[in-house]
Amino acid sequence: MITRIWRLLPGPLSVRVAQAVVLTLVFLVALHFFYDWVGNWLLDQGGTVG
Amino acid sequence: MTDTETPPSDITRPVPHGGRSMRVIHGLGWTLIYLGVLTLGFVVHELVITTWFAQQAQPELTAERLAQWAQTDITDMVVVPTTTANQGNENTTGTGAPGDEGGSAQPVILKVESEPELGTAFAVIRIPKLERLRDGWNVVEGVRVVDLRNGAGHMPGTAMPGQPGNAVISGHRTTYGQPFHELNELDPGDRIEVETAIGTSVYEVREIHIVAPTDLWVTEPRQGAWLTLTTCHPKFSARQRYVVVAELVYGPNYDAIQAMS
Repeated sequence: MITRIWRLLPGPLSVRVAQAVVLTLVFLVALHFFYDWVGNWLLDQGGTVG
Repeated sequence: MTDTETPPSDITRPVPHGGRSMRVIHGLGWTLIYLGVLTLGFVVHELVITTWFAQQAQPELTAERLAQWAQTDITDMVVVPTTTANQGNENTTGTGAPGDEGGSAQPVILKVESEPELGTAFAVIRIPKLERLRDGWNVVEGVRVVDLRNGAGHMPGTAMPGQPGNAVISGHRTTYGQPFHELNELDPGDRIEVETAIGTSVYEVREIHIVAPTDLWVTEPRQGAWLTLTTCHPKFSARQRYVVVAELVYGPNYDAIQAMS
């Protein structure tokens, strides 16, 4: 899957590397918020009552 | 790439032979690998990364708390103790006004501090019995998700620690520093210290409850001065709440609160 995404990126190598870095960062940030959301509802809500 | 294209190399990109069923198994295998990596990432994120962030935030919260203490307005309120003869009469406790004649005993001072802004660190909780809280953990005002990311949170609308009523503090049990991870190790009689701008208030554990997350009665005001700690229960689940209720036994307001009772 990663190879396919890499092949889909347009432009010369340097541009594709830059796009890959940006996409990776966006993916990691989105993953962080997703994990945070799942963890908050499934694992630990901070002990709040009400 | 279409189904009819030949892969560039069987070594770099193995493609199963044997028709449709093999392709399905191949796809299923990769899906399970991706799900496994995502799940492993979730565990590492929740148990390691969130805790690392919470621990990194502690020095900054400590500095914020000390600054908060310097700015806190502390009001001395005069409380005239209720005499034995007057017990049962609601008007026998002093109102704080100088010269109040609520009783004949010596008046005592109740220190009242101003409420901090949401998200601000204003207290530190120490529990000598619990290794994680032996050196203290910052308490911020508020129990929003963002408030509880760095420290334990004081529930707005409940009494401030060291004040009359029921001060409620919530904290994470398995993520974000896990300040209340070992809360189940507390027994009746164990001590809990909460330091605020007015000084250190010492509480003694009196009750332990396991309740539903919607059981708001644990946050209701109580006669005297109480501290209620709440966290998720069981560990690694948000299904219930583990609640420790402790009573004030020593502190800057102890005498005043006893006089008011």
